[in-house]
Amino acid sequence: MATLRRLLARQEVIIALTIIILSIFIGLVNPSFFSIPNVFRILRSGIIVGMFAMGVLIVLISGGIDVSFPAIAVSAMYITVVFIRDTGIDSLVLSFVVAGLIGLALGLFNAFFIALFKLPTLIVTLGTLSLFRGLLLFFVGSQRIRIAEVSPVLSDLSRGNLITIDNPAGGVANLHIAFVFLVVLAVIVWLLLRYTMLGRAIYAMGGDLEAAERVGFNVRRTQFFIYGFVGLVAGITGIVYCSLSREADPFSIVGIELDVIAAVVLGGASIMGGRGTVVGTLLGVLLITLISSSLVLLGISSDWQRFVVGILIIIGTSIPVLQLRQRQRTQSAAQAV
Amino acid sequence: MVHRRSIFLVVFALTILALSFGVSFAQEATPDAPSSPGAILDVSGDWTIATVVKLTGIAWFDRMETGVNWVSEDYPNVTAFQQGPAQADAALQVQVIEDLLAQGVDALCVIPFQPETVEPVLQRAREEGVVVITHEASNQENIDYDIEAFDNSAYGVHLMEALAERMNYEGEYTVFVGSLTSATHNQWVDAAIAYQQENYPDMTFVGDKNESFDDPQQAYERMQELLIAYPNLRGVQGSASTDVVGVGQAVEEAGLQDQIVVVGTSLPSISRDLINTDAIDLISFWDPALAGYACNMLAIQQLEGTLPVTDGELPEEGFGFSNLTGYEELSLVDKVFYGAAWVDVTSENVDEWDF
Repeated sequence: MATLRRLLARQEVIIALTIIILSIFIGLVNPSFFSIPNVFRILRSGIIVGMFAMGVLIVLISGGIDVSFPAIAVSAMYITVVFIRDTGIDSLVLSFVVAGLIGLALGLFNAFFIALFKLPTLIVTLGTLSLFRGLLLFFVGSQRIRIAEVSPVLSDLSRGNLITIDNPAGGVANLHIAFVFLVVLAVIVWLLLRYTMLGRAIYAMGGDLEAAERVGFNVRRTQFFIYGFVGLVAGITGIVYCSLSREADPFSIVGIELDVIAAVVLGGASIMGGRGTVVGTLLGVLLITLISSSLVLLGISSDWQRFVVGILIIIGTSIPVLQLRQRQRTQSAAQAV
Repeated sequence: MVHRRSIFLVVFALTILALSFGVSFAQEATPDAPSSPGAILDVSGDWTIATVVKLTGIAWFDRMETGVNWVSEDYPNVTAFQQGPAQADAALQVQVIEDLLAQGVDALCVIPFQPETVEPVLQRAREEGVVVITHEASNQENIDYDIEAFDNSAYGVHLMEALAERMNYEGEYTVFVGSLTSATHNQWVDAAIAYQQENYPDMTFVGDKNESFDDPQQAYERMQELLIAYPNLRGVQGSASTDVVGVGQAVEEAGLQDQIVVVGTSLPSISRDLINTDAIDLISFWDPALAGYACNMLAIQQLEGTLPVTDGELPEEGFGFSNLTGYEELSLVDKVFYGAAWVDVTSENVDEWDF
């Protein structure tokens, strides 16, 4: 009994149970939910949110917040594609390197203000969100570029599949190769948070910045790492995004930040810092993806879809708050005795 | 500290450099200009006509400028030119119109960015005796006339006919709109669904109108879900220019190019690759060059006083521009002229267009 209660106190377990119950419910309404093509589809639509979430997780654990990553991603993506178009240099590795470096540079730009001027992270990244996107649209361009017309290499990536099976309902079902990027990134972040001193520093900063500094963590350097890392991840995710969507649209991606942050918080990361896990985050991403991509299967009419998504997110995010309150009540009860 | 600061300066400089590097890349392709339609009107006066577009520097309005330049070519005593703000901004467009009025143009062809914002300046223009023709603004008030490439219902029916023919008039289909509040998109699909229900009894509309929010990724993910929910889906009609792009990508990835028909409004520049792989079967749009040309023709006739309109009615024998495809036979409702100027593009002719 005690074990069960301890299990239920973990956000990951709650989210996993929610996912299972929701899946059974959707499957009862529409049995084709439990099919391999559908599983592939849901995994694929979680790739982008999942990759961004890995960066955001680190920032949230450290007690900060970053809303500028979509602008970093779209800048890195679009500048890289324009670079490919105008130079004709079409190399997969180079595009990832260029996009990663642009992302890193923009991320360090954030870190510069956050670490050296000690400005609130939300203010800085809200500012750079508009700044990066504005510079991109004004100086680089505002036109959609079809990947197939400029980069055969990225175009091949967009058609790359990890697994292809015959769909019994006709045609084929694919698991996109970009899923590998998400898995690799998740493993890296998991190792980083669990087994490195840097990871300890990130958790310590989120718990108490002052205390982390006193016990000898180099907070400034860690902040440079955190925001640089988010930028790097965003840059690479930008390239993955354009190969998944087969186009580079400078107006895309920005707007995804709320979904990503919601997924990370849903996955148990505390918005106040100090708490959060990779597994929880991935489950949060899965839940958000599941909700937003099963509305047609559930037969919910278009008029109601946004309403239903809103309700489910409110329910999902209020669970941890209620849990916390429950825990506090138990604690004070214990103290009273 | 100095050392560290210099590192940051370098990072900062690199960031700016990276961004400004992009500037030199940004260049626009110029559409090739096939020949003009040729003169069909006798023009006695010397007229200056300005076409004011929403935004300059984008392919759509570059193409329109081609049409405006044809007017000057075909009618030597007409000076037709195009102007517009460099940013999509209603206030800037008003400023452009004000400057043109100060220069003393005889007529304005306006494609308003925000119809209500330009009403006051258009009212002033008309008070000064300037002829005002608008395009893509059928509810504009302070105008002589408005001209639309087509009537929305007729266009929706046209797309349904294209879809039904390719589906052999049978099977399940669904429709996409940018949003349930996009008026024109909903007019197109409502007319299409009504036409199907009356004429093609073996076709079935499944699901609901799907919203794509003008985002090809949303259309893509929605289409993937529809493929799971409706395994017998055989056709899709898109509305936003990005709908068929997302839908076509989902169809291609599922290897269903030959089983599922995808038609809708789009532009060759964003759908060409998918048209070439047959994931998209047909797209339709209107040619901005012809729309700009037609707008100017109306302005000329209104200036010359040769428009055959009496009490808001066209003459019985009809009215139109015989050399302008889609505008040969115009209809008039209140102050709005309608053509039937949709252009269909398939893999056969997709390479003729570069916008």
